[in-house]
Amino acid sequence: MKPLMLQGHERAITQIKYNRDGDLLFSSAKDNAPNVWFSLNGERLGSYLGHQGVVWCLDVNWETTRFLTGAGDNSMRLWDVSNGKEIGKVTTGSSVRTCAFSYSANTAVMSTDKQMKFNCEIYIIDVRNADASLEHQDPIMRIPVDGPKVTSILWGPLDETVISGHENGKITMWDLKMGKEVHSVMDHSGSINDLQFSKDGTQFISASKDCTAKLFDTDTLELLKTYKTERPVNSAALSPIMDHVVLGGGQEAMEVTTTSTRVGKFDARFFHLVFEEEFGRVKGHFGPINSLAFHPDGKSYASGGEDGFTRVHTFDPSYYEYQFDF
Amino acid sequence: MAKKKDAEKATPNDENSKQDKSEMAEDEEPNFSDPEDYVDNISDEELLGDILKTRPQETDGVESVIVVDGIPQITADRFDKLRNVVSKIFSKVGEIVNECYPKTPEGSTKGYVFIEYANAAHAAEAVTLLNNHKLDRQHTFTVNLFTDFKKYEDIPDEWEPPAPQPYTDMGNLHYFLLEPDSYDQFSTVCNRGSTVQIWLNSVPEPSKLVEKERWTETFVKWSPLGTYFTTIHGAGVALWGGPDFARKMRFAHQGVQFIDFSPSEKYVVTYSPTFEGQGEPKNLIIWDIRTGQEKRSFYLNSQMMWPFIRWSHDDKYFARSDEDMLSVYETPSFGLLNKKSFKIPGIRDFSWSPVDNILAYWMAEDKDVPARVTLIEIPSRNEIRSKNLFNVADCRMHWQKSGDYLCVKVDRYSKIRKDKNEIKYSGMYFNFEIFHMQEKQIPVDSVEVKESIHAFAWEPVGSKFAIIHGDQPNICVSFYGVKTGQTPALLKKLEKKCCNHLFWSPTGQYIVLADLRSSSGVLEFVDTNDFNVMTQQEHFQASDVEWDPTGRYVVTVCSFWKAKVDTGYSVWSFQGKILRRFNSGAFCQLLWRPRPPSLLSVKEQKEIRKNLKKYSAQFESKDRMRSSRASKELVEKRRKLFEEFNSYREKCREKWLEQKPRRLQLRNNVDTDEIENDTKNVDEEVIEFFIKEEITIID
Repeated sequence: MKPLMLQGHERAITQIKYNRDGDLLFSSAKDNAPNVWFSLNGERLGSYLGHQGVVWCLDVNWETTRFLTGAGDNSMRLWDVSNGKEIGKVTTGSSVRTCAFSYSANTAVMSTDKQMKFNCEIYIIDVRNADASLEHQDPIMRIPVDGPKVTSILWGPLDETVISGHENGKITMWDLKMGKEVHSVMDHSGSINDLQFSKDGTQFISASKDCTAKLFDTDTLELLKTYKTERPVNSAALSPIMDHVVLGGGQEAMEVTTTSTRVGKFDARFFHLVFEEEFGRVKGHFGPINSLAFHPDGKSYASGGEDGFTRVHTFDPSYYEYQFDF
Repeated sequence: MAKKKDAEKATPNDENSKQDKSEMAEDEEPNFSDPEDYVDNISDEELLGDILKTRPQETDGVESVIVVDGIPQITADRFDKLRNVVSKIFSKVGEIVNECYPKTPEGSTKGYVFIEYANAAHAAEAVTLLNNHKLDRQHTFTVNLFTDFKKYEDIPDEWEPPAPQPYTDMGNLHYFLLEPDSYDQFSTVCNRGSTVQIWLNSVPEPSKLVEKERWTETFVKWSPLGTYFTTIHGAGVALWGGPDFARKMRFAHQGVQFIDFSPSEKYVVTYSPTFEGQGEPKNLIIWDIRTGQEKRSFYLNSQMMWPFIRWSHDDKYFARSDEDMLSVYETPSFGLLNKKSFKIPGIRDFSWSPVDNILAYWMAEDKDVPARVTLIEIPSRNEIRSKNLFNVADCRMHWQKSGDYLCVKVDRYSKIRKDKNEIKYSGMYFNFEIFHMQEKQIPVDSVEVKESIHAFAWEPVGSKFAIIHGDQPNICVSFYGVKTGQTPALLKKLEKKCCNHLFWSPTGQYIVLADLRSSSGVLEFVDTNDFNVMTQQEHFQASDVEWDPTGRYVVTVCSFWKAKVDTGYSVWSFQGKILRRFNSGAFCQLLWRPRPPSLLSVKEQKEIRKNLKKYSAQFESKDRMRSSRASKELVEKRRKLFEEFNSYREKCREKWLEQKPRRLQLRNNVDTDEIENDTKNVDEEVIEFFIKEEITIID
């Protein structure tokens, strides 16, 4: 089917996410206004105005009442989904690179960049009764991160842990009761650009600059599967209904200008979850794909690219018919 | 014994002298001199051994003495003049400390002189520089180190035959031809050149035979018949062969950069642009492959293109060219053929016929003398054909692989302009001079093309050639056929093509037109029986095209040496069907292992071609079996993977279900595990869909 083109950003898309019901799609870009769209027809519902820099990350809570963004203007902001008003914000010393609501959405996590004299830090914030006073409250916990900065983050399944992906390819699990690193693995050799859970949260997939995406067990961080490409992978998502993985990425934005779109390989690439074999590609973007998300019903997916577009693709019936021989 | 006696004698004397001293001390100054009969019983070595060690020896400085033989024998009255001349020549090398002219009792010189330099290095330099120095017509200096004379004296009078080397079994170097399915081998260089692999091109997947890290320091090369695999190192060249790719031979040549094999694999030529070390300067060495011996070396400053040394097809002769000179050498003596070089004023290039001992060369225009292409027979040196050409800017010689034809591509000009030292040509046009080698007196035909030429290639088997000509954007590929007693006929002109290289199948008929090192990487597979473009493909940024030696496969390579992304290779059938793509970061090079020519006679080959249907049925069934086995294996592997993963997933699910109460607790007892579970909280929402747009124009 013809994809929906969501045009509303002036610059490269940084992250996209569906809400739990899948009726809304949130997008953030390097311009300073995150948007929310109807996923069904691609109509823009509204924008969240207030940031003064690149919006690096976003998340929406499970009830779709609150919306979280982190930006290059050294702030993390909490919004009311329904009316686009800012509920509160947290100012930091450096850019906010990642943010996420916990499972219960009582707490949120964010991480900051290593910039100038500020170190990379993970903040755990109470957002239960957040209001304008959020700015003056102390976070529940601040964990300084020595070494490579955090580039992507996930909450553990039961709000007890946080899993962070780092610039050097390291994946670390933090225990929040102790505020300490409990476990870390070094299976990637390049920056972890994205981390996404499987539907039940028992596995997660990492997308890395080392041209691979990998599947890990959430509890043990054991490496289960590897999906290889020839280009840096910026995002990877797991289908909630099929044993499929979608990878997106492409040549780095810096090098793109020197080559034609055909070379950049900006296709979304579909792999079988278990066999690690590629079985399909979807063309369309004329810049690297920066973020990918499956619709919670698994019948469509969306991709946001460096070209500033978000494309929502609904699968054709032949997609469900395709079977691997085994 | 003598010492002992001295000691015995000395004891009584000592006592005496003591008594003398004590008596004398009272009245006069003591006498320190030894008494007359005193014998010193302490040797000089004991007293000042360390100083004595540095005492000048008679043989000191011998290394810096040279003996010059062959100087004029003259009478005493002209001696001073001679001395001036000789010392002038030899003081060029270094300061002369001493010289000695042995003379007859009458005072005339004996015809040789000893010269001593300040140090041994100067003496050695004098030997290398001034040995065989011609003073005049009668007198040639023979310069030797004085120390070498001892060496020459020690040469035994009787010749001792060298002990025979024990025979080492090299194993079967041609084992790769015994592969039951006739799979070919190829070598790959990947990881920026640090990993070298040898593969067997088996169906359906190639199998790796050998992999070595840092096998070569620069590049690798197969010998022309495929027997040896060559790796290049800083200290020289190594040859590998046999089923396990063990080292068979190595040739030490510091800083080697180029290598070349003789066509029958008897000799290998190594070239290092820098010469280090002592002795005679040499930068090009010819080695015997089987014994590893250095056969001959040269010091070349050639302006020619590599290879500087070119071999006749049977390794019997090799030739090199210098300014206005062509030297042909024979093997195994490695001496100049007939002991002299050819004087060929203005020789620019030469090449051997691939099947006969015929050498073709061309001379450039010189004032009123036209340019000339000449064919000579070796060793008789008979000129068998020559052709004068006018207005020639450049020539290129292309032999057909079977030696039936020679094509000389002549770049001609209509105007010439001399700008200071630069010569500028304009109004270029091109001639192809075809020499029919198999016919009597070698008739020559010519084809003229007015457009610029981008590539030329003979069909390796058969009598066609192809050229790429024209200017952008109208690039054409033309095919010509050559026949006995006729001028070459244009068979087909393919217009508006996108290509810059031609690659004929080694068995003829099929040709790949490729656009290499450009942004498109277009490949066209053409059957020249009917000039049908079978398929058009592309391999983006492809830098090389390699046919396998049997003409069944074509490989296109995108090399790290040329491009930075998407390096790897693609394998195509000869019809242009993609068989396999292989991508690997920093992939550098793929080379097929060559095969020696078939041992079957032409008649036997024809027989096979006639019964091809019968054979192909066998092979096809074999291929089918193999691919079905492979797909069965793949299915089994997948099933196993799936079972493993599923059992893992089951465990995860159990744990997940156990945790359900805790999840409910976290989300206010709302079950969010499935989208459909939470039915209480559903709101209906109306969304407009933009389905169709209609524009009606109202008048």
